[in-house]
Amino acid sequence: MFINWALQEINLKIVYYGPGMSGKTTNLEYIHSKLDPSLTGELVTLKTKEDRTIFFDFMQIEVGRIKGKKPKFNLYTVPGQVYYASSRKIILNGVDGIVFVADSQRDRMEGNIETLLDLENNLMASGFSLETFPWVVQYNKRDLPNAESIAVLQKKLNFFNVPQFEGVAIKGTGVFDTLKSIINLVVQHVQKQL
Amino acid sequence: MVQVKKLKDGSRQVILTAQQFDEITKVLSELAAKTKASTILLADISGQLITQRGNTEDINTAILSALAASDFAATSEMAKLVGEDAKFKLLFHEGEKRNVYLSNIGDNFFLVVVFDVSVTLGLVRIYTKKAIHGLLKIFEESEQGEDAGKIIDKDFSSMLGDMLDDSFK
Repeated sequence: MFINWALQEINLKIVYYGPGMSGKTTNLEYIHSKLDPSLTGELVTLKTKEDRTIFFDFMQIEVGRIKGKKPKFNLYTVPGQVYYASSRKIILNGVDGIVFVADSQRDRMEGNIETLLDLENNLMASGFSLETFPWVVQYNKRDLPNAESIAVLQKKLNFFNVPQFEGVAIKGTGVFDTLKSIINLVVQHVQKQL
Repeated sequence: MVQVKKLKDGSRQVILTAQQFDEITKVLSELAAKTKASTILLADISGQLITQRGNTEDINTAILSALAASDFAATSEMAKLVGEDAKFKLLFHEGEKRNVYLSNIGDNFFLVVVFDVSVTLGLVRIYTKKAIHGLLKIFEESEQGEDAGKIIDKDFSSMLGDMLDDSFK
């Protein structure tokens, strides 16, 4: 979090984390396409030819002034592929809240678990833990025929019982609910810390 | 000093007072005038832009600072790999029309100076170094800023919730 008293700005950093091809960039693309252009900046995505995020995606959103203060949300995604481990660590620098985008497909369960553990490791390196850090989980790709049941996903991934959302990011289902939820959690968390 | 608070859960909070902001702006304006830099950004290592000087109309500076922060972070990983214990302190990107000079300011901030190739690098280095010295002094000055709790109260969260509902139709 960064607060600038002169400009009355509050900057918060939210990172979308998850295994490769789980739909993190799709979440951001949907938000970008639906928000009024006056509220959002350009969406930068650093992609390879195969549509994979190589470093990160970035987008800033503003919602206008609240009691004279201007909250700004900086949304980032991380590359999901295992071999981009160090970029993931870098992007978590100064993070205020995390959206974990899980791939609901049955055969992606291992990937989800592995990435969640990778997240916990990276957070621990900066002195955080998933147990206390503000995060939510989105079970994406609910529309696919081989999607695992929510009960199983909850049991395997949501062991701290954080807010969870069902998503079909490509159609926008669950995307805004997820974002609203993480913003609220972050703000509540800031209050609790003081 | 610039409040860089470690919160209970280990997260970091950076708070800049209005006075510090004015002083910082002064230092950056001087740097811009001396180096004829086209754009100067001051950002926090997590990629959040703090302030900017010069031509910032044609450049999306929020994105530039996010990219510059990862540039820095990537090179510090590189430093580790090649056996350099300290972080690399500065980065220089040379182009055909524009050059970009990045330099860290203590552990939490960095400067991005974009300048025309007609300006010599030596000049930029000298004045950037001077500016960093000035900025470090401002950051160290002890002045207690207001707490985040004063802005982010119960009212604030509920109003924010309403505004989000409104924007995310």
